[in-house]
Amino acid sequence: MNSRLAHLLVFLYPRPWRERYGAEFEALLHNGGGGLRTWANVVWSAFHEHVFPTPGLNTEHSQFQSWCVRAPWAMFGLAPLLLLAAAYFVACFILWSGWKIFLPGTNTPFVPIDGLANFYFQVGRLIYFSAPIVIGWAIGLVAARQRLKVVWPGAGWLLIALIGGTAQVRASRTTVLSGVGHVRMAFALGPSVHGIPDGLFHGLVILSLAVLPYVIWRLQKALALSD
Amino acid sequence: MLVLASLADGPKHGHAMIEDIVRLSGTRLGPGTLYGAIARLEQQGWIEPLPAEERRRPYRITGEGLRILRAKLTTLQQFSKVGLKRLETL
Repeated sequence: MNSRLAHLLVFLYPRPWRERYGAEFEALLHNGGGGLRTWANVVWSAFHEHVFPTPGLNTEHSQFQSWCVRAPWAMFGLAPLLLLAAAYFVACFILWSGWKIFLPGTNTPFVPIDGLANFYFQVGRLIYFSAPIVIGWAIGLVAARQRLKVVWPGAGWLLIALIGGTAQVRASRTTVLSGVGHVRMAFALGPSVHGIPDGLFHGLVILSLAVLPYVIWRLQKALALSD
Repeated sequence: MLVLASLADGPKHGHAMIEDIVRLSGTRLGPGTLYGAIARLEQQGWIEPLPAEERRRPYRITGEGLRILRAKLTTLQQFSKVGLKRLETL
């Protein structure tokens, strides 16, 4: 493999790993073949090392680790909440601006549309629906990486699922005197479908999807230990 | 286990380990996979580095590594023995 490329690939690894294995790993890459498979293998392994660092190798007690231990309520409660609020703000802004740009005469933005307007609104929709799940994955990633007990991440998942499940977006032009489009969010469990309130059902769906990667990781770990 | 088995017949550096594992099992480990395993095995104290030769660093298996490898291979041997016996009865 080209020595410059080998050098670049080594830089994908975290610093403590590079300091210990970088030179010899670079020599191995330099002497070996450099096919697409090798690149993919190195990129994946570097990513894995970032997510699950070799135990004992990372001697730095990072600020991030320290926050996870000292203030888990902030890491798994406040931070996901702020992230979710930011994502909902962006989604609502897209809805409001799309309404103003593409549907200036309508009383509500929730009307059938197509073309560019549809694409614009779908971006906001995607952010709105995926935000709690993606934030849930991030909680799982931090929990797995820091090898934390499931209590605080569990609380974070429940909080995100509850908010995601009960969030409702309402938009109207008539509630404001000037007639300017008004988008607001409300949180409610919603009407009952088959005995389960809508919000609770959505919350359970979000919770299941958010914890899924973490559960798979725990199962893989348990299977690896039992081998 | 492949890395431990490869080092069981003497110290090797990364490239030699990859080639030896191909001969041993037919599996070609990618460089990232190999060094991921080396890092974990070294941190567990099952292999140890020797002084570098130019930029290549050979590794050798430790006493603890040999004990672990022996235990794993014995389990595997018992498993395959029972499995083959069951196949004979079919």
